[in-house]
Amino acid sequence: MKPLVVIGFLGSTLDGSKFGPSRWNKWRPSVGITMQEDLRVDRFVLLHGTPHGRLAEYVAEDIASVSPETTIDLRRMDFKNPWDFEEVYGKLLDFARAEPFDPEVEDYLIHITTGTHVAQICLFLLTEAHYLPGRLLQTQPSRGTVSPVGEWNTIDLDLSRYDSIATRFAVASAESQSFLKSGIETRNAGFNGIIDEIEHVALRSKAPVLLMGPTGAGKSQLARRIYELKRLKHQVGGAFVEVNCATLRGDSAMSALFGHRKGAFTGAAADRPGLLRSADKGMLFLDEIGELGLDEQAMILRAIEDKRFLPVGADKESAADFQLIAGTNRDLGEAVASGIFREDLYARLNLWTFTLPGLAERREDIEPNLDYELDRFAEREGQRVSFNKEARQRYLAFAISSDARWTGNFRDLAASVTRMATLSPRGRIDVDCVDSEVARLRKLWLHANAVDDGLASLLSDEALAALDPFDRVQLAETVRICRASRSLSEAGRSLFAASRARRTSANDADRLRKYLTRFGLDWSAVAKN
Amino acid sequence: MIIIDGAEGEGGGQVVRNALALSLVTGEPFRITNIRGKRAKPGLMRQHMTAIEAACSIGNAECSGLAVGSLEIEFRPGRVEPGDYHFSVGTAGSTGLVLQTILMPLIAAGKPSRIFLEGGTHNMMAPPFDFIERSFLPIIGRMGPRVEARLIRHGFYPRGGGKIEVVISPSRLAPIECTDRGQAISCSATALFAGLPFGIADREISTARKLLDWPDNAFAVRQLPEDLGPGNVLLLESAFEHVTEIVTGFGKLGVSAESLAKTASQRMSGYLGSTAFAGPYLADQLLLPFALAGGGSFTTVKPSQHARTAADVIAMFTGKRFEFEQLADGSHLVAPV
Repeated sequence: MKPLVVIGFLGSTLDGSKFGPSRWNKWRPSVGITMQEDLRVDRFVLLHGTPHGRLAEYVAEDIASVSPETTIDLRRMDFKNPWDFEEVYGKLLDFARAEPFDPEVEDYLIHITTGTHVAQICLFLLTEAHYLPGRLLQTQPSRGTVSPVGEWNTIDLDLSRYDSIATRFAVASAESQSFLKSGIETRNAGFNGIIDEIEHVALRSKAPVLLMGPTGAGKSQLARRIYELKRLKHQVGGAFVEVNCATLRGDSAMSALFGHRKGAFTGAAADRPGLLRSADKGMLFLDEIGELGLDEQAMILRAIEDKRFLPVGADKESAADFQLIAGTNRDLGEAVASGIFREDLYARLNLWTFTLPGLAERREDIEPNLDYELDRFAEREGQRVSFNKEARQRYLAFAISSDARWTGNFRDLAASVTRMATLSPRGRIDVDCVDSEVARLRKLWLHANAVDDGLASLLSDEALAALDPFDRVQLAETVRICRASRSLSEAGRSLFAASRARRTSANDADRLRKYLTRFGLDWSAVAKN
Repeated sequence: MIIIDGAEGEGGGQVVRNALALSLVTGEPFRITNIRGKRAKPGLMRQHMTAIEAACSIGNAECSGLAVGSLEIEFRPGRVEPGDYHFSVGTAGSTGLVLQTILMPLIAAGKPSRIFLEGGTHNMMAPPFDFIERSFLPIIGRMGPRVEARLIRHGFYPRGGGKIEVVISPSRLAPIECTDRGQAISCSATALFAGLPFGIADREISTARKLLDWPDNAFAVRQLPEDLGPGNVLLLESAFEHVTEIVTGFGKLGVSAESLAKTASQRMSGYLGSTAFAGPYLADQLLLPFALAGGGSFTTVKPSQHARTAADVIAMFTGKRFEFEQLADGSHLVAPV
């Protein structure tokens, strides 16, 4: 066992007492340290000023009597002004530099309960900076009873408890630095760059913003954060209105977006202001804007440009001033080319376009988001669930591997965490729980694959399972072109366009028919769907 | 190597002290785990460290794992060296407990020793000096060795600062029979106090006077020099031809003089009302010398958990078990078998 050395100031008030037996009924921190049955002080470096020399001797005698194990080392240290930070820090630094500390041979405790608060702060700083190579020692009187012994505890500034405090500081400062990033867990440098840029734009511009990226990449979450940021900076005062355009179909789409007058159509029993109106002075987030019908697109464009629009059945225009954020997982440029998206609206939106990568391209973000989702689960369900170490490693190993496709991006991750958290026994996710979740995800993505390429409706499960991935993409693309074409011949021309250009004659239709036959398919089966 | 689970039985520091004494006498190394496992603050405390260090220095022993809070130590005894020793115990420790650790090994050491012990002489949870001097050591004297203890200065908790001298003239321990107290010789009640108001000692004495049917001149108050204080004990002493019983009440903050005196008086009355030779504290102390003597017997009131745990540890080192036999009058006959 290494000898233990305590370094501390003589407390001119706390260590002071009457010169008589009654002093043993008083808590004196410097004496109390040496009376602890579970702390053995081998050397006590007691710092004191010249005017307190007599008290120091007296305290030293008492320490010797209660603690024969302790060697007392009285050191005089005089301050012109013990409340002067510079002087106290300087003298203590000199002391620390001159002292032949050897943490290999001795353990050190720095007592911070006595001395002026300036001295305490300086001791803390010197300990934190490792000039004093020890732990902080804190003492206090016993509660409820009169005891000269009191209580003690140590604070190791190197240990994790302090780390967690430091981490909290770091989080707080990062939050003020980048409001957007907090709440969006990322370690991905590219994504970080995008967020920085969006923050810049959001704070300087009222122009529409277009967020592109796959479903579940976090577009909606990001839009909401942009709104909160702008609200914090008092740039928007109204509400945040979020609409998924894929859910707006037919007649009701117009009315939902732009509102209607009472009696405009059957069932229009009362005036409806519409979502644009609700977003007045606020922010409108149109998710999946590529799914919006052409008529609605025209109205939206006018609403952005003139801040005016005509509710269904109204003869007077309504006004709404809102910031638009649009989200899409489609390539809008392509949609414009195929005539399903208005070029003028696209041009208006395509000023600030940001492409959010899917989770599969941000694999380093899976781990922080895993913790984030566990926190969210705890908040939502009021139950804190955690992984055991092995289970966490196993889950992460799968999650960041190329086996994990994360087709639903963060939505998949959130659902996965929710499932595991719900099924975990006693709030602990174990290896079994992870294994069955991994199996569930694999199945999900296998299925998602079939839905994506549209082959599931054409071929039986057995036929699909027998298909090589190599053939599958080829067939899927062929089917897609067929469906976009009016006839077998037209499809053939598109599919074999390059070889057609090289060779003057070829029977493209026949070639396509033969290709389809290989999979037991014909034109009518493919085109019907 | 003997392995002891320190959390078994009474599970306190006494297990450590007994094991040290037995190891030094028998030459058997031991390892103890779970030291003070049942206590709020488990592991070795400062006073146990002092006892172990004292055992190491008289016995040329080696001990590994020695640290405050340590839950496990391994002790390898060497040859016990009689001579002059000086040990100091910190605030919570008692000189009596260090003596308990080193006395038997030095008695068995062949040559005389002289020991100075500094620290508490009248501490709670430990036999006070008066008990060692007048209750315990005379029995040892009857077994053969001569051990004389002298109080140089009182030491009370928390101040400590007491000092005693113990001179040991070794001899073989002979088995003796201690079943008869003999005639009552004298009795006394003394309230010692230092650095505290006289009224405290006075109230202790008047309470004891009411509860004990003792002559007036048996009661006394004794003031010690102020600078030894604060400190206060009430010593009740009942001397018989073959044994002296001492019951102690320790004054401390939060315990009234009356209640302290009442508890002590009731315990003394309990002893006087029985026919047993040894009170519970003396019985604890006698197990070790009786086991080393290899025979004899004594009667006591009721064997405590302390005593049964001590008997278990003794059996591990010596192979000698104790029999606790209840007698018709309610007392127990204790004898190594």
